[in-house]
Amino acid sequence: MENRHFRRLRRLRLRGIQPTIMIAFSVISISTMFMVGAMLYIRFATLTREKTIESTERMMEQAGEDLEDYLGSMRRISDTAYYNIIKERDFAVPGEDIQREMNILYEANRDSLRSIAVYNDRGSLIAAEPVASQKEGSNVTAQDWYKQAVGEMENMHFSTPHIQNLFDDATFRYYWVISLSRTVELTESGNPRLGVLLVDMDYASVSRMMQQINTAGNGQYYYLCDGEGEIIYHPRQAQMNDGIGSENSIETAGYGEGVYDEDFGGERRKVIVNTISYTGWKLVGVIPYSTFTRGMIDLRYFIVMLMLLMAMMLVIVNRVISARISSPILKLNDSVMEYEAGKKPDIYVGGSPEISRLGLSIQSSYEQIDMLMRKIVLEQNERRKSELDALQGQINPHFLYNALESIMWMVEGERNDDAAFMLSQLAKFFRISLSKGHTVISVGDELQHAKSYMSIQKVRYKDAFSVVFDIEDSLSSYSTVKLVLQPILENAVNYGIRGMDDDGEIKVKGRLKEGNVILSVEDNGLGMSEEEVSLVLTDSNRIRKRGSGVGLVNVNNRIQLVFGREYGLIVESEPDVGTTVSIRMPAVPYTEENRKTLEKGHVFGKEEIRDGKE
Amino acid sequence: MGKSKRNKKTFVLIEAVLASLVGVVALLMILESRDDEFKVSVIIRDSDDNRWSAFKYGLRMAAEDEGAEIFVVGTDEVLTAEEEKSLLEEEINNGADAVIMQPVPGEDPKEIVEEFGSRLPIMFVEYAPDGDGKTSGVPAVGADDYAMGATLAEELLRDYGGSLEGKRLGILSQTTDLTAVYERGRGLGDALEGKGAKNVWIVSGSFIGTDINFLAKQPEVDIVIAFDDDSLTMAGECAAANNLHGAEIYGIGNSTEAVYYLDTGIVECLLVPDEFSVGYRSMMEVAGRLKRSYWEIMDERVPHTVVRRETLFSEENEGLFFAISQK
Repeated sequence: MENRHFRRLRRLRLRGIQPTIMIAFSVISISTMFMVGAMLYIRFATLTREKTIESTERMMEQAGEDLEDYLGSMRRISDTAYYNIIKERDFAVPGEDIQREMNILYEANRDSLRSIAVYNDRGSLIAAEPVASQKEGSNVTAQDWYKQAVGEMENMHFSTPHIQNLFDDATFRYYWVISLSRTVELTESGNPRLGVLLVDMDYASVSRMMQQINTAGNGQYYYLCDGEGEIIYHPRQAQMNDGIGSENSIETAGYGEGVYDEDFGGERRKVIVNTISYTGWKLVGVIPYSTFTRGMIDLRYFIVMLMLLMAMMLVIVNRVISARISSPILKLNDSVMEYEAGKKPDIYVGGSPEISRLGLSIQSSYEQIDMLMRKIVLEQNERRKSELDALQGQINPHFLYNALESIMWMVEGERNDDAAFMLSQLAKFFRISLSKGHTVISVGDELQHAKSYMSIQKVRYKDAFSVVFDIEDSLSSYSTVKLVLQPILENAVNYGIRGMDDDGEIKVKGRLKEGNVILSVEDNGLGMSEEEVSLVLTDSNRIRKRGSGVGLVNVNNRIQLVFGREYGLIVESEPDVGTTVSIRMPAVPYTEENRKTLEKGHVFGKEEIRDGKE
Repeated sequence: MGKSKRNKKTFVLIEAVLASLVGVVALLMILESRDDEFKVSVIIRDSDDNRWSAFKYGLRMAAEDEGAEIFVVGTDEVLTAEEEKSLLEEEINNGADAVIMQPVPGEDPKEIVEEFGSRLPIMFVEYAPDGDGKTSGVPAVGADDYAMGATLAEELLRDYGGSLEGKRLGILSQTTDLTAVYERGRGLGDALEGKGAKNVWIVSGSFIGTDINFLAKQPEVDIVIAFDDDSLTMAGECAAANNLHGAEIYGIGNSTEAVYYLDTGIVECLLVPDEFSVGYRSMMEVAGRLKRSYWEIMDERVPHTVVRRETLFSEENEGLFFAISQK
């Protein structure tokens, strides 16, 4: 589990600079944006909620004032009816004054008033406006409003809405009213007696006021209940009567004015309570929390949409920015990689000043490295060349001294022909030795050189040995380091043959084998022990004891300097049997171009050596 | 090169995912802002009659709850099957999303459902299922007619001490062609069987423009039973004019007129079907069908209430009154 996370992290770390920048930018910007969006949403939602509650409170305040005005006007009607009409009159005295004044009062308020009626303490109708006949069997004294008025005589009483059950209305109409009742003092024939004044308010007026504020249609609603929680108006009153739905009015009636949170019917809601004066009624505003949420849905979509669009834009912008930032670095990286791969492009210099400076610095470093490398190669070539020259230079003085000594002896012994032959061979020998200063010559010239040398030696040693040249013809046209056979032949003569009377034999063989030129010198001389063989190519001091002083080590080094470490001499010897020294060189056709290349010392750049056959 | 290609691919993929999310949110926004208010047409006979007050109030309340628009087609007292069918077609053409209708005599609600049911939801009111109140396959909301007939008989028997021996009955109904009326009669008949009541006459008709004295010309009876609101109002009117030879009226009704006659003692016993519920539930059913994919409209029976003069203004019956007295 942990490993997987590490692998993931590692993969992330291995990403290129552009994706890293882009991912980092995108993650930072998008998460910041989401955070800001969420905070904005929360802030906005809170503000909207507060605003909704505030506007609900304001609306309720207004509606409460309207209701209070209405109820106040009803109280005033009641007061007017009592103090200005009833209290002033004697009901036993016939006359129309009471009825007329009640009619005036009624007509002035008929929009919100259903009826004004005066009952005596037995529940008999004394006067009513509009004039109507009392319904048979309407037991007034048993009706709530009457009982309340008689029960608490000093107060005015507002009933809950009910159907007016007082008058016979032949138009088949029944009215919903809210009754305002109070005990009044009536005068009948000069005697005071108690009665009840009833002002029936049209419930429709209250219901209309409530309907006006119940128009939100978003789940928010307002209802009105009395101090005991009995519903006076509820927008879903009919449903509640029918058992579909209910209201938490009884509990709410216990609340004072203010804003409350409550859970009712499985729903969390905000409840705002406003108390209506005179009556103790509660105007209740209910805002279910779902209303807030519903109101915020559009905003949610809007914010999500905005965030998505911004995320899209940010991804594009981040990509462009990351590309712009990383492009010079990537270009620089590409050019460095190409440089390292062997191609030699210009190092990219561009982009911001820092990257540009870095490019310049890398470029100058590479230039310096290049220059130093060239210098080193040049110096090495020079050193090699001087080494080669020095090695080649070791050959001539001894040989020349010996040859000239032999010629001198011949001249002294008047062997002029031999001396002439000797001189001609010496001339050939030196011509090839010089070879216009070239280090690499053809195998043919080298063989000629060897033959000239052996001819001189044969004269010097008075044909004490025989020489056989067994060379494949095709070998002549390949390249070789000059003067490689001569020192081997010299060694064969000095160590192998000398002292062997007349039966010394030296065989020089030349073969082309597996792309290599193999030149071997074979003698039937004294041979060497295994230990000596192992020293032949390593101990250069040993050779100087006798002969030209140029040992096999010298030849081996020169071959390796020109052709490489894999080439050189192979010495095979057995005491009393003889010695075979083989030269192994690559078969490089001898052309001017190849010669120059080999002489430059580009031994490993074999591709530069052209095959003459092509 | 490969890396940059992969980066480009990832970038295009991210953009594509974001773009498709934008598309989804846009679609949701459009769906959210779409006005999902629907229109329901209501075809009932004599649509302005007071007896529909509670029903229409129920419709209105349900429409408010469900965000629907209701349109009650104005009709006269007489509505034939052909007229109702053409009204139905007209309403469909006018863009009604659902129709609530009252079957009229001579009309088979099953045929209507078969013909128009695939085009829009149709709900019937005042339609009694065949048989013993079993579901008929026709979506309907109404009172339990058989039970109402039986309740009427029970009330009658209670008033007469369990026996109607020698009592003469006169029965009034608007029509005999409606299953609702038939079921009410069946309920009454079953309950009164063997109780000694004598069925003197059954009068049915629309009573429009009828001289109220025509009942006086009928043989004298002790009890008049009215099976529907119009009949009850008619009987109340006759009795008020003293043309019913003192017969006691028992009936089913749901208008303020019916209540008035009970209030004034002309009608002895009134059975009030919960028409508010009929309106409310029928609208809720069609709303459910329109708003939700899987909603099977069911037959629903609403309760009824027995109201006597003494209990007319009781707290329990105020709710009933509230719905009836709505305009």
